[in-house]
Parts: sequence; C-alpha cells; structure tokens
Amino acid sequence: MKAFFATFKHDTWVMPYLRKYKKLLALTLFLGLMTFFCGSALMFNSGYLISKAARHPYNILMIYVPIVLTRAFGIGRPAFRYAERITSHNWVLRIVSDFRKKLYQAVAKHAVAIRQNFQTGDVLSILADDIDHIENLYLRTVFPTVIAWMMYLIIVIALGYFSWWFGLLMFLMLGLIVIVMPLWSVLLNGARETQSRKIQQTFYTQLTDAVMGLGDWLISGRQTDFNDRQTAPIDEIASLRRADHRFQWWRDFTIQLLFGVICIALLIWSSFYWTTDKASSNWIAAFVLSVFPLVDAFQSVSQGVSEWPSYQRSIRRVNALDTTPTDETDQTVLTESFSQLQVADLDFQYAEANHQIFKHLNLTLTAGEKLALLGPSGTGKSTLLKLILGDLQPTNGSVQLNDVPISRLQNERATLFGVLDQQPYLFNTSIMNNVRMGNPDATDAEVKAALTSVELAPLIDGLPDGYETIVEEGGARFSGGERQRIALARILLQDAPIIILDEPTVSLDPITEAHLLATVFRVLQDKTILWVTHHLAGINYVDQVRFLEAGQFDMAGTPQELYATAPRFKRLYDLDQGHE
Amino acid sequence: MFDPALFKLPGMRRLTVILGLLAVVEGICIIIQAQFLSLAIVGLWHLQTLATIVQPMLIFAIAWTGRQLLVVFKNRLMYPIVEKTSGDMRRQVMQKLYRLGPSYVAKTGTGNVVTTALEGIDKVQTYLMLVVIKVIDMMVIPWVILIYIAWLRWREALFLLAIFPLIIVFMIILGYAAQAKADKQYVGYQRMSNHFVDTLRGLPTLKQLGLSKSYATNVYRVSEGYRKQTMAVIKVAMLSTFALDFFTTLSIAVVAVFLGFGLVNGTISLLPALVILVLSPDYFLPLRTFASDYHATLNGKNAFADVQKMLALPVPTHRDQLGTQPLDWQADSDLRLSQVNFSYDGEQPALSQLDLTAKGYQRIGIIGASGSGKSTLINLLGGFLTPEADQGSIKVNGQAVSHLNQTAWQQSFFYIPQNPYLFHATLAENIAFYQPEAGISAIGQAAAKAGLTDWIETLPDGLATQIGEGARGVSGGQAQRIALARAFLDSSRKILLFDEPTAHLDIETEAALKQTILPVFENHLVFFATHRLHWINQMDYVLVLDHGKIVEQGTPAELAAHNGAYVRLRDEMVGAI
Ligand SMILES: Nc1ncnc2c1ncn2[C@@H]1O[C@H](COP(=O)(O)OP(=O)(O)OP(=O)(O)O)[C@@H](O)[C@H]1O
Ligand SMILES: Nc1ncnc2c1ncn2[C@@H]1O[C@H](COP(=O)(O)OP(=O)(O)OP(=O)(O)O)[C@@H](O)[C@H]1O
Ligand SMILES: [Mg+2]
Ligand SMILES: [Mg+2]
Repeated sequence: MKAFFATFKHDTWVMPYLRKYKKLLALTLFLGLMTFFCGSALMFNSGYLISKAARHPYNILMIYVPIVLTRAFGIGRPAFRYAERITSHNWVLRIVSDFRKKLYQAVAKHAVAIRQNFQTGDVLSILADDIDHIENLYLRTVFPTVIAWMMYLIIVIALGYFSWWFGLLMFLMLGLIVIVMPLWSVLLNGARETQSRKIQQTFYTQLTDAVMGLGDWLISGRQTDFNDRQTAPIDEIASLRRADHRFQWWRDFTIQLLFGVICIALLIWSSFYWTTDKASSNWIAAFVLSVFPLVDAFQSVSQGVSEWPSYQRSIRRVNALDTTPTDETDQTVLTESFSQLQVADLDFQYAEANHQIFKHLNLTLTAGEKLALLGPSGTGKSTLLKLILGDLQPTNGSVQLNDVPISRLQNERATLFGVLDQQPYLFNTSIMNNVRMGNPDATDAEVKAALTSVELAPLIDGLPDGYETIVEEGGARFSGGERQRIALARILLQDAPIIILDEPTVSLDPITEAHLLATVFRVLQDKTILWVTHHLAGINYVDQVRFLEAGQFDMAGTPQELYATAPRFKRLYDLDQGHE
Repeated sequence: MFDPALFKLPGMRRLTVILGLLAVVEGICIIIQAQFLSLAIVGLWHLQTLATIVQPMLIFAIAWTGRQLLVVFKNRLMYPIVEKTSGDMRRQVMQKLYRLGPSYVAKTGTGNVVTTALEGIDKVQTYLMLVVIKVIDMMVIPWVILIYIAWLRWREALFLLAIFPLIIVFMIILGYAAQAKADKQYVGYQRMSNHFVDTLRGLPTLKQLGLSKSYATNVYRVSEGYRKQTMAVIKVAMLSTFALDFFTTLSIAVVAVFLGFGLVNGTISLLPALVILVLSPDYFLPLRTFASDYHATLNGKNAFADVQKMLALPVPTHRDQLGTQPLDWQADSDLRLSQVNFSYDGEQPALSQLDLTAKGYQRIGIIGASGSGKSTLINLLGGFLTPEADQGSIKVNGQAVSHLNQTAWQQSFFYIPQNPYLFHATLAENIAFYQPEAGISAIGQAAAKAGLTDWIETLPDGLATQIGEGARGVSGGQAQRIALARAFLDSSRKILLFDEPTAHLDIETEAALKQTILPVFENHLVFFATHRLHWINQMDYVLVLDHGKIVEQGTPAELAAHNGAYVRLRDEMVGAI
C-alpha cells in the first residue's frame, strides 16, 4: 500500500491527466455503470416477466410495464456500451498523445548529449511499451475496477434493503470477488508481471542495439551468438508467461465457482424470503437470473488489478524522466548584429573523465573572419565547437558573443549559428524536406539552388522521383559523400551569421571536395566561418589556421605564414600531397 | 474471420477437432445447468420447500463446475501450441533478420523492425490464444443449445435461428470495414514508431537547426493522427460490436416477451419457458465474446500477417556453394568477376559490366568520385548486395558462385564500413566483436596498433569503459580507429574490405596509423576504397570507378603513365592548395 502511494507521490504523468480530463472521465464511468446495470436489469425484468405471465394474468396490461422495460433495457445496454467504449478510448488516446509529446520534450532537453544519455531502444521501449501500458492501465484496470466497485455497492445496498443479513452475506461474497481475489492476484502474480516487463524492456534495448549494428553481426559470422542473445529473453519471457497464464485460468475458475455459490445462495435466500405468497415468488427468477450478466463485470477486475505492478513500473519509469521545463529567465537576445566571438581562458573536462581537454584556451573571431581548426584526432575539436555553441559548459573561462555569454543566447542559437556536425543526420523523408529544414520558409527554387551548389542537381535530376526521393533512415539511400552534401546544402540555406563546419568534406573525393569548398566559401563569403578540417585542401580560403594540440593552440597564423615558418605545417602539407 | 494460415500451424488440425468435441460437451453442460437451475426456481415458484430443490441445485452446481473446468482444460490444450508458435516465430524473425541484413533495416526502419519483433509477436500470441478457441466455440456451442431449445419449443428456436445469420451478415459487413481501417491503423502505428526513432536519432541535428522545440508539435501531430485513425477504427469496430449487442440483447428481450405471451395464453408452462430464457444469453455468448475482442484480434491478425510477410521475403539461396568452412585464402587463390551488373532498384544500374580479377595477396585500391559506386562495389564484394542474376559470372578459385553472400566467403574477410557502428558495450567488447574469445592482452595490442593507447590511458576504466549509445562519447576518429582495431585483432581472416577507413582521421594520425596498417596488408588480399590518394602508392593495383563503371585499372605506375581519370584526380589534389 505504501508502495502504491509512493508511486504517485511525485507523479506528473498520471494524476494531472485524470484531473485535466475529469468530466470525460466521469462520463466514461457513468456509461460503464449503466451498461452493466442495463444488462442485469434486462435479465431481472425478463425473469419477473415470465414468472408473472405464468400466473395467467387475466389482462395483458398486467405485464405491460415489464414488457416495455425489457425492451428499454435491451436497447439501453448496447447503446451505453457503445458510448462507453468510444469515450473511454478517446479519452485514453488523447492522454497518450500528450504523453508522447511530453516524452519527446523530456528527451529533447538533452538533445546534445542524447547519444550519451539515452539508448534509442530505451526510449523506444518507453514509447511502445510503457506508454501503451499506461493506456491499458486505464482501459483494463482503472475503469473496470471502479465500475465494478460502484456496481458492488449498489447491489449490496439493494439487497440489504430487502434483508440485512443477506445484504451482509453478499457484501462478503462479492467482496471476495472484487476485493480479495484482486489483491491475492497482485500478490501472487505481480512479481511475475514486473519481471517479465523488465525483461521485455532490456530486450528492447538490446535488440535495437543489435539491429542498428546488424551489419557487423552479419560479417562477424556470429549467427549463433546473435540468436542466443535474443533467444535467452524469449525463453525467459515465455516461461514467466506460462506461469502467468496458468494462474489466470485457475483464478478465473475460482471466481466462476464463487458465482455458482452466489447463485445457490440466492436460491436458498429466496426459499426463505420470497416464498410467502404467489405474488412475491414471481421475484425469485428475477433475482437469480440477474446474477449472470454481472459475471463479466466482476471477473475482469482481478485481471486488471493483477496487472498493476507492471503499470506501476511504467509509471515510475516515465516519472523518472526529467520533465522540469528549462529555466529560461536569463535568456536574452543579441540586440546588435554579431561582431565578435570570444573564447577566453577556457578550461574544460568531461564530467566523468579524468583528462582535461582544454587548458586556458583563448580564441577571438571577428565578423567575416574565416578560421580553420586542425589537430590530431581526439584532441577536442568537436568539443570546442560544442562549447562555442553552448551545448557544453566550460569548467572555467567563458565563451561570449558580443560580450553576451553564449549560455544566455540558447533560444536564439539557430539564428546565430549554422552547424554541420560530424554526424549530420538525414531524416526519413524526401530530399526536399530534409534540405528545407535549414530554413522552413525557403522556396522550392531556393532549396534546389542549394542542392545545385553542392553539385547534387545532376544526380537528383536523374532519379525517378527527383527531389521527392525518400532518403531512408539515416540517409541510407545515398552514398556517404552524397549524404554529407545534402546536409551541407541544408546549412547553406540557413541564413545565420556564424557557420560552424565539422569536417564538411569527409567522404568526398578531391575533385568534389575542391569544388565544394570553392562553393562554400563563395556562398558564405560574408559570414564568419569556423571550419574543422583534417587535411589541407582548400586551406587558402581561410584567414587563420589554428592547430589544437594537448588542450592548447600549438600553431597559429595565416596559411602562407605557416607554410613559410612552421616546419610541421610544411610536413603536413607534403603528407597531404602524397609525398612521403 | 478465420485465417487459413492458422490451420497450417503444426498440430492445429488435430487440436481443432478436440476443441470442437470439448465445445459440444460444454454445450451439454450449459443445457444441464440451465435445466436444473430452472427446475429449482420453478420449485420455489410453486412455493415448495428448500428440501425439494436440493437435488436440482446439486446437479446445477456440478454442471456449472464442469463447464468452468472445461474452459480451463481448453486453454491448457491450446496454450502449448500458442507458446510454441509465437516462440518459434520470434526465433524465425531473428534468424530472418540476420539473413536479410542491414539493407532491409534501412528500408523498413529500425523502430519498425524492433516493434514487429517484440510488440508485434506479443499481439500475435494474444491473437492465437483468443481466436482459435473463440471461433470454435462460436461454431459449435450455439447449435447444441439451439437444438435443445428447438426440442422444447420450435417457435423460439426458429426466431433465434433466424436472427443468427442476420447478425453474422452484419458482423461481416462491419468486419470488412473495420479491417480496412485497421490495416491503415497498423501502418500508422509502425509509421509512428519509425518516426519517433528517426526523430531521436536526429535530435542533435534538430537542435542545431533550431527545430527541436517546435518538433514537439510535430510529434504531437503524428500521435494525434494516429489517435484519429485509431478512433476511426474503433468507431467502426465497436459499431459491429454494437450491432451485435443490440441484436442479441434485443433478441433476448423479444424471446422473453414471446414467452410471456405464450405463458399468458397457456401454450407453454413456466419450466421450459424459464429454461429457454436462461439459455438464450448463452446461445449468444460465444458470438459476443468473439466480437468484443474483435478489435484486439484485428491488430493481432495484422501483426500475424506482417510477420508472415517478413518471413516469406526472399533471402539469398545457394549460400553454401563454397562450403561452410572459412576459405583458406592462399597466394595463388583468385577471385574473378566478369561482366557483373548490379542495380538497387532494378532499373538504373549502380554498377555495370564489372570485370576484375584479384589474385593472392594483392592490394587493390578503389578510387573514384563521390557516388561513383565504391561502397556499392565493396558491399557487392562483401555479399551484402546481390548482383543481377544470370548476367556475368563470379568465380572464387575457379568455382562459379551466383553471388558473394557465401557462408564461407563471409567468414574469410574483414570489413570496415564507411560509418562503423559502436555497440553499447565495453571498449574491449567492441574491439573483440569479431573475436569474442580474444584475450585482454591481445585486445590491448590491437588497440595500440590502432593508436588508441594514449587515449585509453586517460580513461578511468580503460578498456572496460562503456561506449556506444547511452554511454561515454568518443570522437569521430576514435570511432574509426576502434573499427580498425577490430581488424588488427583478427589475423585469421585473409581478405580485408576497407571502405574509407581513415576518412575521419587527421593527416598526422593517419600517417602514424599507416605505419601499423601497412604490415597488416602483408599476406592479405586487400580492397581499399579511399579518397586519400597517398594510399595509392602502397597499392599493387588500382580500380578507378566512375558512374558505376570501372573506367581504368592497372598498377599505380601504369595509371600514372597514361593521362586518364587517375591523373586528373591527382592533379586536382595537387592544385588544391
Ligand atoms: N561525451 C563524452 N564524454 C566523455 N569524453 C568524451 C565525450 N565526447 C568526447 N569525449 C572525449 O573527448 C576527447 C575529444 O573529443 P572530440 O570529439 O572533441 O575530438 P575531435 O578533436 O573532434 O576528434 P576527431 O578528429 O577524431 O573527431 C576524446 O578523447 C573523446 O574520447
Ligand atoms: N540503397 C540505395 N538505393 C539506391 N541507390 C543507392 C543506394 N545506395 C547508394 N545508391 C546510389 O548508388 C550510387 C553509388 O553509391 P556508393 O555508396 O557506392 O558511392 P561511393 O562511391 O561509395 O560514394 P562516397 O565516396 O560518397 O561514399 C550513388 O549515386 C548512390 O546515390
Ligand atoms: Mg570530431
Ligand atoms: Mg562510399
């Protein structure tokens, strides 16, 4: 019980929505109640009707009221049921849409570090598994249980009206069905449900990881390992489910037996209470027959409640997500146009690493300047870009744009920076849509112009679907260099004063690379460019070259100066030329 | 309503017969139970004492218990088959997935593949468990009951019989409508999970484009779209349940009224009337339970069809033309491709008329403009792509094969893709992915050769650091070197397929790495696709690709000697600074 309340203590995913849509909720419950009421009343009425008719009343009018009522209940039941189903599903799905959005927002908050903080499979399992299960929480547990309890109360009160001791007896017997059995189910079955949920979730994460790296599995020839890895959870889940099902069958069996007993109890009670005269004995059939339609309503409670622990797990998991809105009070805008980017005395270290990446780093970039950043793999070039963008916070020192700290300009980022990162992502939609993301207001012609400048126009024109070709997940439809260029086109379209390029020409052949660099520097002539590159092709386009080495700038200057004065630069140049 | 594919499941026919017989027994139990319950009620109605109805009550209790036992028994009979079928199906899906490979995933979407294999098969399980028993009950029990009612009084029986086809017709009409909608809904569901995975993977990009916040509305919209679709299905599906409910409940009401008139007129006595009244809900019950789960069944049915469809997808056959053991690639072994064609979509060729011969421990460089088909060629050589059938020939050591997706071949080469994937595992496990039994010292050596030692020393957990999605980040070049370390670890595979393994490396790191990579090339057949032309000097042979054709091939010296595509590329490079 404690655990039950603890689940909801800091809950932001279940209770708020119950409140938000409470009228619809009340309506759903009312309709559900009416459904079962009509079902029971129909049999009650019919039983009475034929018993009464069997007394051969001299006038048909004597049974006219039950006849009309029979029809009314007969129509009422399906109508209420239909309405109940529709409202409850609508209600739940509405909530689920809210959930998905909320889940996305929770995840999007960590957008930059998403690859470090989340596994796709994890989030997918929240999406497909947990959210769907919260959907079932309402449809299978909350609604049926509440409705059954209301029904229970009504029945006990109604019977207690006729005879208090029989009311009490039914209070106990039906109580067994709607309270004791469900609790017993949770106790016995709950652990199993939780366990199988847990396995299912790891299965999600693991399978997603395996599917994304399927290529490697394939060539490694480790088919048995691959299969074994996936079959282990399959077998575990299967054996848990088997036990689960067994339990359910016998539990339902017990509940049915209880109903049999209730039936007999009703008969016995009737033999005392309703056999005083002929008129009252007409009620016997009514009471006995009205039990059967209730079986449905009461039986589902146990199942629903026994699923609670698995829902509880889902609720906890979603509640564990950080959904507090980001504090935006200190955000401002850049009033005048961009004039200077300044990195001052920067220290940085990844939280979980013991290796300091930058020590007292300084860098100034004025509007219109073009800077190339070189350095060995893993020195922190991409990290520096993230710091400049405000995606990472420096341990010490500052990054400022016109004297405004970058952390206060986060809302404006997209208008200030155009970024092509090392792993640009193409979304599973058309080329046109992918490129247009750079600037949603761009016209078709502008998009096409951007694609022409990255030299993709001839290729795209040759495709059967042209600009509407779907790029597939992650851009799989295109070659490495083509993907890179589509992403670059997106940046060309984005009209931001500072352009950050992290290896824009990786996977490109020298010819395409040379053309592309010429285009980039021509199109982005009046922009400030920060360009991470691995080799020296196109280095003459920039005003400054910086070498990042062991957390510091090691060489700096114009390409011409460096070529003349720095032997290392000259050696690199020669290496790049293919001389040894 | 009843999927013919279900009957094809092993053991299903026999089970159907048994379940049918059990349903007959269940029907008889229902009749006994109704008969004796009514007897007890009528006894009381005649104002008899409790003692007189003890015997009917007992018989009622026994029949009632028997009926419930039968339900459990039927489930127990059914379950093993369901469990086996869904378990097998999941295994088959995994195996199939392994056979279909990454190109299938790229087309279908990761989210989709994963949800089909997990959620989809769960739905199938529920479907199988529900549908078979319910359909059989529906086809047997009503008739048993109806026969008894007819024996009591043919008029009501006739009415109940007449209403039955009417209900069925309604169910079929509405079922079709719901089916069409449910198909759409299922597609919608898959689209949604794909959409979500896609969004998640691209989230950093979205953020950079300043779209990550407004994308929340997009997610909401997709989800609302799905809700509307679902509601449309539910409205129709529930409408069929409604129609059914309406007719059955109303029929019971009508029967009750009929009986009432009959009793007033004295054409029937109370006992049979009551029996008929008690039996009529049971007459409709199997139909109703079937219909109330119809919606759940539809999803299961779609998932079932979907899985069947996936399992039926063609996979390359003839994978054992070279045997099943890894090849023993020797200095005199050879691979010959002649006039081989390949196309992604069956129309435009991506590779055409390939002629190439690779002998022994040659080092073959593959160069060409972006999009010229280098990766495609490497993938074809790796057997991940299947060449056009009946055109050209591929021979390994003189043995003709129809494609290179050969078990033996694939275990003999090592492949580094253009964008290697890092698994969510430790660094050591990632490096040893191809050699899971490798020792830690061997792993350390391989990492050293890939120039990773300095970096690993800065890691608190060293080789035991968790990397990959959801763990510590690595730089672009580090990821690529981890992939290279995999190759250094494995010395048994004599063929190397490298697709731009150094693209993400800076020149200096690359130059350093070159010193460790070159010795590995000794005694190996190497295919090396690259844009960095300095590698060419280390190659024995070079293929220059352009628009899917090999436009030049020869030794580097030969190519340098005549003024072709290679010379043009090289000059361009030199002119670049
Ligand atoms: N999220 C992270 N957590 C901890 N360490 C990280 C994280 N991301 C990167 N690193 C480490 O920080 C260092 C710098 O990484 P960064 O990606 O900035 O390198 P880079 O200079 O861009 O290299 P490359 O040229 O290979 O892309 C690397 O050693 C890397 O392993
Ligand atoms: N899955 C696919 N479906 C259809 N066409 C494809 C697919 N993958 C690649 N292509 C096309 O085939 C051509 C060759 O692609 P490939 O990946 O082999 O190029 P590449 O030479 O490796 O280029 P890069 O140097 O840019 O990696 C490209 O024009 C590309 O658009
Ligand atoms: Mg980087
Ligand atoms: Mg490629």
